[in-house]
Amino acid sequence: MDAIALENVSKSYDSVTAVSGVNLRIPQGAVLGLLGPNGAGKTTTIRMVMNILVPDEGSILVLGEPVSDKTRDSIGYLPEERGLYPRMQVRSLIVFFAALHGLSEAEADRRAREWLDRFELAQWSEKKMNELSKGMQQKVQFIIAVLHRPPIVILDEPFSGLDPVNAATVKDIMLEMRDQGSTIILSTHRMEQVEKMCDSICLINHGRSVLDGDLRAIKHSYGKNTVDIEFTGPDGFLTNPAIASVNRFATGVEAKLKPGADAQEILKAAVQSGAQISRFELLEPSLNEIFIEKTSHA
Amino acid sequence: MRKIWLIIKREYVTRVKTKGFVIGTLIVPLLGIGFTALIIFLVGHQSNQSLRFAIVDNAGGIAPTVVGSLDTKLASGQPMFVVTETIDRPASPGAVQDELRAKVISGALDAYLLIPKDLSQPTELHTKNPGNYALFGPLNAALNQALVEVRLNARGIHVDDVRDIVRGADLQIIKVSKQGESVEKGQTMGVAVALVILLYLSLLMYGIITMRSVLEEKTTRTMEVLISAVHPFELLAGKILGVAAVAFTQFFIWSLSLALLATYGAALSAMAGAGTTLASIHIPAGLLASACVYFFGGYFLYSSMFAAVGAACSNEQDAAQLQWIAMAPLVFTMLIYSMVLNDPASRASLILSEIPFFSPLLMPLRISLQTPPAWQIALSIGLLFVSIVAVIYCSAKVYRVGILMYGKRPTLPEMVRWLRHS
Repeated sequence: MDAIALENVSKSYDSVTAVSGVNLRIPQGAVLGLLGPNGAGKTTTIRMVMNILVPDEGSILVLGEPVSDKTRDSIGYLPEERGLYPRMQVRSLIVFFAALHGLSEAEADRRAREWLDRFELAQWSEKKMNELSKGMQQKVQFIIAVLHRPPIVILDEPFSGLDPVNAATVKDIMLEMRDQGSTIILSTHRMEQVEKMCDSICLINHGRSVLDGDLRAIKHSYGKNTVDIEFTGPDGFLTNPAIASVNRFATGVEAKLKPGADAQEILKAAVQSGAQISRFELLEPSLNEIFIEKTSHA
Repeated sequence: MRKIWLIIKREYVTRVKTKGFVIGTLIVPLLGIGFTALIIFLVGHQSNQSLRFAIVDNAGGIAPTVVGSLDTKLASGQPMFVVTETIDRPASPGAVQDELRAKVISGALDAYLLIPKDLSQPTELHTKNPGNYALFGPLNAALNQALVEVRLNARGIHVDDVRDIVRGADLQIIKVSKQGESVEKGQTMGVAVALVILLYLSLLMYGIITMRSVLEEKTTRTMEVLISAVHPFELLAGKILGVAAVAFTQFFIWSLSLALLATYGAALSAMAGAGTTLASIHIPAGLLASACVYFFGGYFLYSSMFAAVGAACSNEQDAAQLQWIAMAPLVFTMLIYSMVLNDPASRASLILSEIPFFSPLLMPLRISLQTPPAWQIALSIGLLFVSIVAVIYCSAKVYRVGILMYGKRPTLPEMVRWLRHS
């Protein structure tokens, strides 16, 4: 049984089509990266999965059941737009939301204390939300998304605003939940996070699913068509006709090859031009590159 | 149901704990009691002060008549006017006046009255405190009476005969109701108008509280998490019922303090020696109960509209501009309520008080003035209930769409489209 199954789902507001004919199956225990440019239809899709919006067409199953108010309780949600009652005490706020998700208040309180400890927020638990720093508020919001141990968690930009230590804690908890069988949907613009965390992706553009499936398989299907070159010195060799496009970084470039091009030719040209090469690696394209390719010429 | 209950509880607990609620609920009645006590005390205290004055009678022979007609008593039973001396036709008026003026300045006298030689000229009262109108009114009346008496006597007419002839009818208003008859001194009108104003202010205040509460969830983006946990209708119902529970608590405390005030207020005013109309104000329990029913009916009707307005807006400014939608019928009621006040049994009053948006204010008004037939009350409650259901149904639809919308303030036609769309 799939955790979530969307079949031919469409939704439009007035004259704007937000989502059109999306098909998506997310197996239980998967970590899916939900990608797409701003305004592509990700939030609409998420809201339909949570029965906040009703699709115009198509069907959505959550854990094998059609979406309803009941299936909503199987989902934990960290929205992109953060914010909680500013004048409520931290722990009573967490208990309130956990109780809304069906936990008894005693159990919710017990778990809230546990989680606040884990995020080193224990001494803030009696404070009001608006007395907390942004990062701390973010952690409270993350706790609210996962406290009721939902089988499905939807996290929208979970790492934004977190320092590296807290980001690592959040990442560890995500992996822990995956190991316990939870299904995680990670919606983010940070492609390197998706590459590290997700085993499958769904890329939405203009309301349509333009790419979905196993991340490794997708990358593999592109073949090793990218060279990662770190160098100093002249960069004239980058105009070589074998190179289709160049993505520049501080220490070097990521160059995409034209179909059938030979990477050795480029290496030769680079050496001849006098560039000092410290790294030259033939790679599958990065997700970043795939994202740009799939969304830029649509 | 459990989720609605949780939302009611949160709304109630967080709202009751705020400083605003504590101040509004506990301190306002205390202040009310305090002010009433203060006014009773001051009125009693002030009227205990007699006006001590001397009379300089330049015409001669008038002063005794004036003194005779100065029989007004203070609330405490003390005479209002104390004439310390009368000077009949002084030989040197200037010197006498200088002497009296000095006494007034030193405080030995409050004033002196100067009766002119020619009675067609005005009589003068020289005093340090020319603002004491509570005393000047009765004094003027006494003077008029004394002068009339003097003139009548001069023409050989007996004063008492004239008094008997010109005595007025002294129309007294008696209110007839099923409970019996009671002398009307304006208290029915006072209670009715106070009731309408109280209902109006309460409906407006709690409506706006509901609106801001919804708006706060939107502007803080708490809404994003809330709708991932509950159905919008549960959220709306919990919110409205939660604020209703707060209103109920506040009214309960207020009526309790009002009851205490009514019980002890009479004793208090008696103690202060002020003959007050407080004791004559009697609010029947039936009127109070019907006012409660219509308040909560009106509250559900209006607050659901206010909630929809709150949901449709993204910030305070937009809400302030859009709240007229919910406020308009309420304000309109305040413009037309005097029609009902003047003639509560007229056809216009009957029709207006049956219209659901007006009935929460106008039916209690009619009940307080002249209890209408039971069927009219039953009909208006029935109509009110039906419209509450209809308005909540529509508001919930606007609310459901509105809570997801950010950015531009919607126009009324847009909101109507949301209604049709969802």
